[in-house]
Amino acid sequence: MKSYLDLVSVSAKVHKRQNQMSVFCIVLAVFLVAVIFGMADMAIRSQIMQVYMEEGSWHAAFKGLSDEEARMISARPEVTASSWYGVLNYNGDQGYTLEGKNVVICGSEESWITKMHIGIIAEGAFPQKDNEVMITKNAKTMLGLDLGDPVTVDGPAGARLQFIISGFSEGSGKTMEEDSYGIFLTTGEFRSLYSTVINGEAADYNSLYYVQFSRHSNIKRVISDIKTQFGLSDQLSSENTKLLGLLGQSGNSFMIQIYGSAAVLFLLVLLAGIMMIASSLNSNVAQRTQFFGMIRCIGATPKQVMRIVQREALGWCRIAIPLGISMGIVVIWILCAMLRYLSPKYFGGMAVFGISLPAILSGICVGIMTVFFAARSPAKRAAAVSPLAAVSGTRNNLSPVHKAVRTPFKIETSLGIHHAVSGKKNFLLMTGSFSLSIILFLSFSVTVDFMHHSLRPLKPWTPDISIVSQDNSCSINSVLLDEVRRNPAVKRAYGRMFAYDVPALINGEVRKVDLISYEENQFHWAEDFLLRGSVDEVQQGENSGLIVFDRQDIVKVGDIVTLQTGNKSATINITGSLSSVPFNTAPGVGTIICSENTFRQLTGQTDYTIIDLQLSKNVSDSDVDEIHRLAGTGVTFSDKRSGNRSVIGSFYSFGIFIYGFMTVIALITIFNIVNSTAMSVSARMKQYGVFRAIGLTNRQLIKMITAEAFTYAIIGSIFGVAIGLLLNRYLYASMVTFHWGEQWKLPFTEMTVIVAIVILSVILAVQGPAKRIRNMSVVDTISNL
Amino acid sequence: MEILNVHHLSKIYGKGENQVNALKDVSFTLEQGEFAAVVGESGSGKSTLLNCIGALDSPTSGHICIAGKDLFSMKEEQRTIFRRRNIGFVFQSFQLIAELSVEENIMFPILLDYRKPDPTAVDEILEVLGLKDRRHHLPNQLSGGQQQRAAIGRALITRPKLILADEPTGNLDSKNSQDVVDLLVRASRHYRQTILMITHNNNLTVSADRVLRVSDGILTDWGGNENEKLS
Repeated sequence: MKSYLDLVSVSAKVHKRQNQMSVFCIVLAVFLVAVIFGMADMAIRSQIMQVYMEEGSWHAAFKGLSDEEARMISARPEVTASSWYGVLNYNGDQGYTLEGKNVVICGSEESWITKMHIGIIAEGAFPQKDNEVMITKNAKTMLGLDLGDPVTVDGPAGARLQFIISGFSEGSGKTMEEDSYGIFLTTGEFRSLYSTVINGEAADYNSLYYVQFSRHSNIKRVISDIKTQFGLSDQLSSENTKLLGLLGQSGNSFMIQIYGSAAVLFLLVLLAGIMMIASSLNSNVAQRTQFFGMIRCIGATPKQVMRIVQREALGWCRIAIPLGISMGIVVIWILCAMLRYLSPKYFGGMAVFGISLPAILSGICVGIMTVFFAARSPAKRAAAVSPLAAVSGTRNNLSPVHKAVRTPFKIETSLGIHHAVSGKKNFLLMTGSFSLSIILFLSFSVTVDFMHHSLRPLKPWTPDISIVSQDNSCSINSVLLDEVRRNPAVKRAYGRMFAYDVPALINGEVRKVDLISYEENQFHWAEDFLLRGSVDEVQQGENSGLIVFDRQDIVKVGDIVTLQTGNKSATINITGSLSSVPFNTAPGVGTIICSENTFRQLTGQTDYTIIDLQLSKNVSDSDVDEIHRLAGTGVTFSDKRSGNRSVIGSFYSFGIFIYGFMTVIALITIFNIVNSTAMSVSARMKQYGVFRAIGLTNRQLIKMITAEAFTYAIIGSIFGVAIGLLLNRYLYASMVTFHWGEQWKLPFTEMTVIVAIVILSVILAVQGPAKRIRNMSVVDTISNL
Repeated sequence: MEILNVHHLSKIYGKGENQVNALKDVSFTLEQGEFAAVVGESGSGKSTLLNCIGALDSPTSGHICIAGKDLFSMKEEQRTIFRRRNIGFVFQSFQLIAELSVEENIMFPILLDYRKPDPTAVDEILEVLGLKDRRHHLPNQLSGGQQQRAAIGRALITRPKLILADEPTGNLDSKNSQDVVDLLVRASRHYRQTILMITHNNNLTVSADRVLRVSDGILTDWGGNENEKLS
């Protein structure tokens, strides 16, 4: 032993068990911080990956620049990549086609693809010469093309553009869904397509200058500099808002609101960590008042006592911080593995054992700093212990008994309540840590609302592929439906027949309706939207239909509608109504849903307008190509997988982390309450021994502990819910109302869930101490008094 | 040489009707190497007197000077350092640090003073205490008498000018009680230390140079070891 501080390590070895609870508390606090920061880091990374895939990794785009000005921008030291980018025939209205299908023509420099859309090249390379072209890979499969093959794009006014294929790119959501092709040309070749423009400026070629900056630069400031330097108005510049937001570089007012909310949540997590550790250290110190008094007696200064307590706490950190961080990392790995499994296309690139540096650093910093700050209060308390405490031996204060006998409750309940409230600091820390759990839960629950507003989950009827009639008629052979159903890659296939703008006589008034057929699956999904009547009746019966609710509609359930199809007329009974359907109709046109049989009887049509396919899991592109070939080229083959993946990807990446946060907070609440209660009981064990000795039964003691724990829980819940609701409202206003205008409502479900968790945790928390009390030896417990 | 000078010391607890005058204008002095016993009824104020002299409690009025230094003119930090260098404490309930061995308990006050313990001084004390073969034992492996001897060792290690012992034999049988008192006397003679001991045991005052009696907060100096007067 060389220093008085060596007492700390000697003591730690002897009091391993007693210190475990304090260590556990620090582990929980560090875990909370590491896991939340790690999850936030991974969520941001996953979102950035998604933005890179969908939007690209550019930061700003400028319009109206000359080539010379563009060169000046690209020469700036902050710029890592830049490119002109223009599009022709985006809406399919400029007459460019390839083998009868629309072609979207993009012109850019190589860096647009290689630096701002990494991973888009499936095969080959970006065009190196003006006569070369990179084409979306759906053209490869459908047209049997290969690298080096010539390809001819038909242009407007009979022009024929000849190219050599230099590469294939991944298809975009747009081309896949519209069943069109996309080609990439060099900027020079792209500009030559504007035959009427001679020596024009970039603006004449409908091109924007896209710029990617170094992530270490102040992007917001650089964009503003460029705008000032070249006199560009806000209309002439745009930002990749989502990416800049995720990089923390956005000046967008909505993003600033989000940053504000993140700061509030960050502070809350920090505060929760401090509270939990302070409460645990406080209990630990409270148990050793006499010890600190004694070392004060033999000459320790208050500073030395503080150092002992702080050294003890930092010693616990040595075990607790690595443990907390490791647990956090494992949880993040699990969540990332879930993401990779659920959305491999988007998140396959995430490292299996990725390490989140912010999580580790924040865990260490917050752990040490929190322990250091949290230890100050109990250390001060220890240092303030009068040396008299050692000589007078007044550590077992029975003062609550005095007050308790005067309350209307039973003695054990009164004692429990008085135990809870008698030590002001302990009461404050315990109720504080309970209420902070509730505040955290209620605050983070706003992110769930944010998610539901910002993301639209896929509906059960969302198809992966739609085979659509090119002229919206019933022209898709019903045999095709049977054929695709037999394909093992297809999980579910269902068709719809449409008859548009059918004249209908409704209650003496002539109106137009769209008549649509449903089959079994679609009727089943429609049940969720049924307002009146029965779906079964329409599905099974003949000449009956469901009307879709429309404010102006004059059709009611029970009406008979006469439809004029071709040159014959037929009647249909309206036996039910639906609140909505997944497709839109023209204004003023009603919608009637009927069974396929009824549709065929009414219209005489037997084939489909659209066939929707839902694919099995792990379906490859070649499986889809096979279905495409089966459908042929006479239809629009709308591949919606990319768009669906985007929706699913966002939903999963957001959902997993948001629900992860909530679960972690709920678990921390449970552990914290159980641990705090156990520590509180440990601190009073000798006193309980005295109570047992003077005649309290075990049952009474357990009731006493229950009353104490419930006092913390009830007061903590009241404060937690009150402050939590205020924060919930503030965060809702910043994250939801600000953007979507929806007004705040009392989050009754969230309140009920967290208060129920607190109550159940208290019930659970009492079990351990109850067992200890039952096994307590009164003689041993009080022998050292 | 005068080691302790208590001058018009008063201590009042509470206010108004609840006011208790624990010490009333107490004055006395102790010389270097003197062994004084304080006797009195329970609640008479003897522990309050000891706590004030040990700077564990502050007096309402009056002065306490140890080796010429006024205890309560110092700041808290200074007073603590002064206490650990000049006053040794021996408690009724030993108050050893359970996690530390006998030897470590004895050297602990030296470590608190950021000094390196002198092994020969520690050995010498262990020898005097008769605890040499128990130096690596933990307090719970010792008898009550051995624990109290270790506590005395801890009080002696810094060579304090004054040792305050609050009923050091209260938890011991008569044989161990006499041993402990003999040890204190030996220390006072050997190291020329002044000892002020509270005791209920009249037999133990035989060894004291002086006996001070406290009754209702008033101190009476009974002079030399006149045991007959006490009984």
